[in-house]
Amino acid sequence: MIEHKIKIVNNAGLHTRPAANIVKLASKYKCEFFLIKDGLNINGKSIIGVMTLAAEKGSEITLVFDGVDEELAANEIVDYFNRGFDE
Amino acid sequence: MKINESSIAQKESITVELFYNSIVDRFKIRLLNERVGFDRLIKDPNLHRPGLPLAGFLELFSYSRVQVFGNTEMRYLLNLSLEERTKSLENIFKYDIPCLIISNEHEPTPEMLELGNKYKIPIFGSAFSTTKAIFLISDFLDDQFAPRLSVHGSLVDVYGVGMLFIGKSGIGKSEVALDLVERGHRLVADDVVIITKKGEGILMGAGTELVKHFMELRGIGIIDIRSMFGIRAIRFQKRIEVVIELEVWDEKNEYTRTGLDNSTTAIMDVEIPYVKLPIIPGKNITVVSEIIALNYLLKHYGYDAAKVLQDRITSKIRQKNEEMNRAVDYFEHDFE
Repeated sequence: MIEHKIKIVNNAGLHTRPAANIVKLASKYKCEFFLIKDGLNINGKSIIGVMTLAAEKGSEITLVFDGVDEELAANEIVDYFNRGFDE
Repeated sequence: MKINESSIAQKESITVELFYNSIVDRFKIRLLNERVGFDRLIKDPNLHRPGLPLAGFLELFSYSRVQVFGNTEMRYLLNLSLEERTKSLENIFKYDIPCLIISNEHEPTPEMLELGNKYKIPIFGSAFSTTKAIFLISDFLDDQFAPRLSVHGSLVDVYGVGMLFIGKSGIGKSEVALDLVERGHRLVADDVVIITKKGEGILMGAGTELVKHFMELRGIGIIDIRSMFGIRAIRFQKRIEVVIELEVWDEKNEYTRTGLDNSTTAIMDVEIPYVKLPIIPGKNITVVSEIIALNYLLKHYGYDAAKVLQDRITSKIRQKNEEMNRAVDYFEHDFE
């Protein structure tokens, strides 16, 4: 299991487009992927779930990866967060 | 699959402002003194009636609770002289009490309001009787301080039974929920279900405020169940009574055949009936879910089919009847 604490860096926050991309990225991998924010534990492969977070700029989210290909998944998804969803 | 309980959240405090805004209309509450001390924190779901502290016994005074002044407290205060009354009140106002509620529409005395302003303690009045006010406010605070957990699943009210569907992403939880809605049942939440533990054995499930009755269907996108099917298709919250785990059929796994072994799963230490449903070709999960709900209702009303059949077999064995009997032994002139 890998855990990463990340911060939302782009101005618009975690809105629909990045949420959809995150779910798309996560679905490529076999491992389970969760996002934890303010006591909400969200399955990262569910778009409604990820949008529920409504994470604004500066908010902290814990990303949890658990499964066979967790490292590959963590690398790609954490990188996508750190790039500010390419915005 | 175990439900991940690592993120159980519980509020440690709420502000008096949130408390006031939430109950002002609901419980006929009004602010009596100036708007002071609204940033005070309520850290305890219990209430306290400060009869003894008013009389001067301040040991073990539960000052961190919301203080309720009912008939007894008010009558006691009115029986004192102005000087004694001010002293008695000042004794408890010196403590860090979050707020004060005067029930039964009693009028606060002028020095009480002054002291409230001076020590920045909000004083509220309630039109309800003390017992009713305490009951309602306790229930509200219990709910606010209850442990909460978010799980990935769908919650549907099927014939009045709250069924929580869990399972891996893409197994078809949303599709089952949609199918159930189509058949006249009511959706509570899809994808993210917030579970609140009420009292000792009750789990209430609800959606999140933001997405409520939206749903994602793979290949289609996001749909809104409420706009699509109307008010009959949704509800805001429901007690969770059965947990159904959907999984791909695994021949190594054993599935219950008789239903005599009532398996349960624990969510926040509450035992809930639990069914593991394998998905196989030709199996209509929606209909099976309805059957599970009906069977739950039958059991709840005292009829357990598996037990009844077991009892029948046991008594038959005892009779040592060797013949294989038909359901009806002889039914005259029935040639249909």
